[in-house]
Amino acid sequence: MNENKNNPITRKKFLRICGSVVAGAAVASMAGVMVRKALSGQASYFWQIDPNKCTYCGRCETDCVLPVSAVKCVHANKVCGYCDLCGGYYRANVKDLNTAAENLRCPTGAIVRKYVEDPYFEYTIEEDLCTGCAKCAKGCNSFGNGSLYMQVKQDLCKNCNECKIAKVCPSGAIQRVPMEKAYLLKDG
Amino acid sequence: MQKILSILTLLLLAATAQAQRFPKPDFESGYQYPQLQYAVPNETLWVTVDLILLVALMSIVAYSVIKRKTRKPVFWVSVISVAYFGFFRNGCVCSIGAIQNVALALVDNSYTIPLVVFLFFILPIIFTLLFGRVFCAGVCPLGALQEIVNVKSYRISRSVAAVLGIIPWVYLIFAVLYAATRSSFIICRFDPFIGIFRLGGDIGMIIFGVLLLIAAVFTGRPFCRFICPYGALLSLFSRVSIWKIKMTLACINCELCHNACPVDAIKPAYENKVKESRLQGVKRILLYLIVLPVMCVIGALIMRTMSDALSTAHRDVRLYEQVLQNEKAPQNVLSVDLEAFYGQGGTVAEITERVEKIQSDFKTYSTIAGTLMGLVIGLTLIGLSVKRTRKTYEIDDARCVNCAKCFNYCPQNRKV
Repeated sequence: MNENKNNPITRKKFLRICGSVVAGAAVASMAGVMVRKALSGQASYFWQIDPNKCTYCGRCETDCVLPVSAVKCVHANKVCGYCDLCGGYYRANVKDLNTAAENLRCPTGAIVRKYVEDPYFEYTIEEDLCTGCAKCAKGCNSFGNGSLYMQVKQDLCKNCNECKIAKVCPSGAIQRVPMEKAYLLKDG
Repeated sequence: MQKILSILTLLLLAATAQAQRFPKPDFESGYQYPQLQYAVPNETLWVTVDLILLVALMSIVAYSVIKRKTRKPVFWVSVISVAYFGFFRNGCVCSIGAIQNVALALVDNSYTIPLVVFLFFILPIIFTLLFGRVFCAGVCPLGALQEIVNVKSYRISRSVAAVLGIIPWVYLIFAVLYAATRSSFIICRFDPFIGIFRLGGDIGMIIFGVLLLIAAVFTGRPFCRFICPYGALLSLFSRVSIWKIKMTLACINCELCHNACPVDAIKPAYENKVKESRLQGVKRILLYLIVLPVMCVIGALIMRTMSDALSTAHRDVRLYEQVLQNEKAPQNVLSVDLEAFYGQGGTVAEITERVEKIQSDFKTYSTIAGTLMGLVIGLTLIGLSVKRTRKTYEIDDARCVNCAKCFNYCPQNRKV
């Protein structure tokens, strides 16, 4: 008893054990609550653009953390009208419907146009050239069927904890989606 | 008559199904729709590898530091961590950022936290409770990167280090405040090393990261000691950890470990010569007990008055200001944000209600945050004013990051 009184280590040790117990209990209860919470619902993991909310503002091109945005234009062939005068392919009020650069909407020429049969043309996106500026999607949605729209390419996306584009997206179209539904496609 | 009707139905169709202005073409040449596949990375696999590696590396560090008392494996763990978690996985998922997901999950029931994110948050804490900050030692790619470039450990004076040591706590409090109000994930936004790992990104943060790395050459781990919010959290648990690095019983007071420590966690023997009567001591403790609550109240009041300004970090609050301005003086050309707001049928009444909710949330949370900040600052000041007698060299468990550099220098290492 007397020895204990003169030994400051004992008190320190006692406090440390108390601390360990408190910290251990805190961690255990926290883990219990959170694991139950994590398992109760379906966690959303990837970022994706809801095409029904997107307003084609063009911030996807400029605000991604990557030098070239992970957001690309995708094309739903089953929604497309295969028009000759395509609002996504040609600028408004073009004189001639040819592939001259001044007529094209896409600044990098990433939309490839292929003749199918009279009067239909097939459009495909050259992903390596696409910068995600959404100009074609805006044109297609204003004048056409809206078959050109923007999606986050999951193989390019770094899956940041907080998407930098989502922070500036004016319509709140960028949201987390579960792993099984990594793309929100218009032609399912 | 029929013509008008058909035009009317066409117009109606166009209005309802805006997406189908042009009908699906009937191909006669037997054209087939191309099958487009969009790549999805096998994230489940990589997440599993992440978790296995996290636990394995922490176990290696714990074994080599606590049991073998050697640094060599810790260095290689650092290299693996920088290569894999840093450059290969590009720094996400990260335990430091996971604080924000956990804070958000605690206050917001609609948010489901991914299990891997929570495990990245809790596993290092469990290991810290058992073995000290083995996560910091080399498993965290941010700490490992600074550790690898470190050459010399110039010591920063005690009071400067103590004041700078407040920053991680303030950072942690702000990060939780902004995460809990769904405003912003500031830890991710101001991560100085992510740009280096990704070889590109925000140029300002990359410059800051490079400056930190240059500083890390001359003094141990500036980011870990003076910025990292997760380190602050772990230091709470490492104070009470069960197995930890201990000063050897055969210590000969040679001060070599003290000089080797990059984070200044080994305190030399010290004799407190100030004699204090019992009455004086009681008075001093009473003073602490008065000063501490006063600082908490001051902190709470300051943060409460600032809560409206802080709430502008939330997107909706900024949008609300734009909407109000536009309502007062309608602009001819709407900004992109306003266009989207009105386009989605947003009304002033609806956004006002939303913003009021956000601002009241901010008021509550920033009051709590202010209290905690007052507490942290008060405790730091008290810590600076308290002087304790130490008979031998002592390890400051809160600061020690288990890098095991001291073992290399100790002449008595593994002798007892």
